[in-house]
Amino acid sequence: MTSLLLRDVSVLARDGPLLAHANLEVQRGELVALLGPNGAGKTTLLRAALGLVPLGGGEVRVSGTALEALSQRKRAAELAWLPQQSAPSEPLPAREAVVAARYRFHETAAKSRHEAERALERVGLARFADAPLTTLSGGERQRVAIAGLLAQEARFLLLDEPANHLDPAQQAETYALLGSLVAEGVGMLCVTHDVNLLGHVVRSPRVVGLADGTLRFDLDYRADALPERLSELFGVRMLPLSVGAGRVIVPAPRGLEGEAR
Amino acid sequence: MTGRIVALVVLSLALTALSVLVGPPLDGAQGDFILWQLRVPRMLVGALVGGTLGLVGASFQTLFANPLASESTVGTTAGATLGALAALALELPGGFPVLFLCSCVGAALASLSVTLVAGSGRASMGDVLLAGITVTVATGALSVGLQYLSDSRALVAAARWSLGQLPQVGYDGVLILAPLVIPCWLVLLALGRALQTFAFGEELAESRGVHVPGLRRLVLGAGSLAVAACVAWCGPIAFVGLIVPHIVRRSVGPAQRRVLPLSLAAGSAFLVLCDALARSLSPGRELPVGVVTAALGAPGLVLLLFRARRSVPA
Repeated sequence: MTSLLLRDVSVLARDGPLLAHANLEVQRGELVALLGPNGAGKTTLLRAALGLVPLGGGEVRVSGTALEALSQRKRAAELAWLPQQSAPSEPLPAREAVVAARYRFHETAAKSRHEAERALERVGLARFADAPLTTLSGGERQRVAIAGLLAQEARFLLLDEPANHLDPAQQAETYALLGSLVAEGVGMLCVTHDVNLLGHVVRSPRVVGLADGTLRFDLDYRADALPERLSELFGVRMLPLSVGAGRVIVPAPRGLEGEAR
Repeated sequence: MTGRIVALVVLSLALTALSVLVGPPLDGAQGDFILWQLRVPRMLVGALVGGTLGLVGASFQTLFANPLASESTVGTTAGATLGALAALALELPGGFPVLFLCSCVGAALASLSVTLVAGSGRASMGDVLLAGITVTVATGALSVGLQYLSDSRALVAAARWSLGQLPQVGYDGVLILAPLVIPCWLVLLALGRALQTFAFGEELAESRGVHVPGLRRLVLGAGSLAVAACVAWCGPIAFVGLIVPHIVRRSVGPAQRRVLPLSLAAGSAFLVLCDALARSLSPGRELPVGVVTAALGAPGLVLLLFRARRSVPA
């Protein structure tokens, strides 16, 4: 009852399915990473889960209710979305951008602003509350967008490459923040290209592989089979490397594909 | 920031009120009559119409995520114009009420066809804008056809009306327009919060809880009704809805909770001032206000766009 469930979901385009018979369940307090080559249908899967594209079959259920049966506001209480970043069209102050994410609440403007400022504080941007988005760097804008996610206070977060545009320190920080949200009970479905960032922030994320609109595998992050399955998924040799007590998975540099592990 | 907003509101109100003093000096009983029976009601009508055009322009620009959208680009003005022209060219009896009704029907039909496109599932805002432009072109052609068919007297009446002019005497306009446009203002102002979510695209707005087709219908419906009333009373008046929201955004930033009410205030002031100029520029013979708004608006807009182009970092 406390999950986001995609049951046999298909999304059709004119020349074939973008997503075919996808089955996926995300529990609250769980992080599911969605990996796959470009054009695999990762974004389509998120959009299908959000009810933003018409389904060619199957159904989406959140917390036990069919998505279609929920009003737009109720959907927003269940699901929040971080789309891939696009350039801001107008110099809206960061605070106003975050306030817009509180649309689902019936509350005073002062309360919205207060909550927006709290969210900005949590992503470390409190002093940029008045800064127009157009003056912020890509990394700062991404953190404003994440502040919007926080401000919406949804049960499930659907993120499309949240670490894009961020430098390594900011990536680690962002994933630490996302990890703390998961620990607080948020369910998270996260499109990413870098599986390693996830393993350090949540005890046992699941890793789901998607290629050509079809789900290929659904494994625990620490599963021994993961590097092999990722290699098949991307068509590149992925090597596991031991780092301290943990493991990272990296694509083998060209020329080293033949080297032993 | 608050200072700027207060300044803009005070400036708008002051200019609106002071506009009644523009023109020949007012002396004695005749002066009283001119002030209270001619200039004040005319100022009030100008404020109602200008405010409507400014507010509707600002709402449409946000709704369509397009800085060039306004009541004239989505077919509303063209529809209203066609309706009113039909009444004038066919010399329908009944005076203003009939003219007004025809204009409303025209605007409603044009807006309805655009709204149907807007409300139908997943039409992109680009599609809606294209529908608006198509409707504008089609109604324009019909208008020309009507004028071709009508006799010369009707043609003159139609041509005069289509220049855009605030009518002369008495409080009829205020009494007719206020109950039509003010409820529409309230609806549009109340939708500011929903419109703000559009700053990052319709899909994100939807994911944040906005019922997008419903919002489109409400904004287009309320905007069209208000514009139809204004067009019927004054004829089509160009550029107010386009340039006023741009000036407002440039002064106070793009936050909707400021842009919408200030576009209303600034639109009122702009049109009332243009009208004051229109009636006093050439003594004894007044210019249609539509000519003045276009004469000031067109170069103003070009200047704004030119400066915007230069301020964008390469």
